[in-house]
Amino acid sequence: MSTLSIGLLYGGATLLAMFAGMPIAFALGAIATVFMIAFMPHGSVDTITQNVYEEMASITLLSIPLFILKGSAIGRSRAGQDLYGALHAWMHRIPGGLGIANVFACALFAAMAGSSPATCSAIGSAGIPEMRKRGYSGGFAAGIIASGGTLGILLPPSITMILYAVAAEQSLGRLFLAAIGPALLLVVLFAGYAMWRFRHEYNAARLQYEAGGANS
Amino acid sequence: MAHGLDPVDFGGEVASASDAPADRVLAAINRIIVILSSIALLLAGFVLTYSVVVRYFLKYSTDWQDEMSVFLIVGAVFMSAAAIQAQRGHIGIEAIVGLLPKRVNRVRVFLVDLASLAFCAYFAWKSVTLLHEAIVDDYHSTSTWAPPLWIPYSLMTAGMILLSVQLLLQVIAGLRHDNAGDEGAGA
Repeated sequence: MSTLSIGLLYGGATLLAMFAGMPIAFALGAIATVFMIAFMPHGSVDTITQNVYEEMASITLLSIPLFILKGSAIGRSRAGQDLYGALHAWMHRIPGGLGIANVFACALFAAMAGSSPATCSAIGSAGIPEMRKRGYSGGFAAGIIASGGTLGILLPPSITMILYAVAAEQSLGRLFLAAIGPALLLVVLFAGYAMWRFRHEYNAARLQYEAGGANS
Repeated sequence: MAHGLDPVDFGGEVASASDAPADRVLAAINRIIVILSSIALLLAGFVLTYSVVVRYFLKYSTDWQDEMSVFLIVGAVFMSAAAIQAQRGHIGIEAIVGLLPKRVNRVRVFLVDLASLAFCAYFAWKSVTLLHEAIVDDYHSTSTWAPPLWIPYSLMTAGMILLSVQLLLQVIAGLRHDNAGDEGAGA
């Protein structure tokens, strides 16, 4: 069998196992082991446990469980709501300030927790009901939190970047430094868009009100 | 997709562990291990903090701290794997789970558990042989501290054996559930 067909078979089998709902760790391990037994020299499987331990014993990679622990602890605390409350108090006078406060809260929380889902659940649980109460459309409110959550993988410390640094053998410190600029640019763009979109929705609502009254 | 921060809800469609003695014993062991693993993670955090303070502020050289925290975290990860599996908390893609009919989903869970069991049991067996080698040939780490490698290998081996036992119990529970379902349908 050619290298290309083995590669395709390997990719297909991995996707099949993962989409069947097998835990990702077991799926990757099982498929790799089966292919090692089938296509590699006999002795190669003898060292799999040693290889797994040696890969795991990297101090960079082992920062991930500690980051998840930290994100989980912050997620369970009131830090998300408090952070959001403080930013809301500062920015509520700016037009669209509530949306901007949500973007900033996402950015700060992402920088603390390093995980996108943790950011979305911590800020979204307080932010989305508040925005809905002030008349933001559902799509806009959810969009702010979903896009703000993506800052979790960009703002240092990011779990995704740790994995990339280990896989691509790059310096983690330099990766973190390189991400600060783009992340801040995205924060500014998200905040700018939130302000523009707020004005747009506000004007549309006002025109509707002027045309047909409050009950239209 | 589950992200490991929230409890996973399977809507009661998955065969849960029964009250058989083996399940109860394993659940008790898992509870103790989860507490010990939590302590190990916290200890690793303290050791790393101490290491940073000593190295960067007091300018002392450090030797045992990095490896000690590696042992603590690797131990916590492997040892708690069975407890996580008992709650079906290992991260997987659940995109198609919601679309499948109940009966097909039960078969899917059974097959996934069986494949996971085959891999984990094989890995556990390979870990036993590695641990045996490390003890017989007296393997040590290559660092200046040079701790014996049977310490992390024994944690890895024990964790994988526990995980395999947990998966075996879940496979058996799945089989019992299927039989009970068939008898119920036949009656």
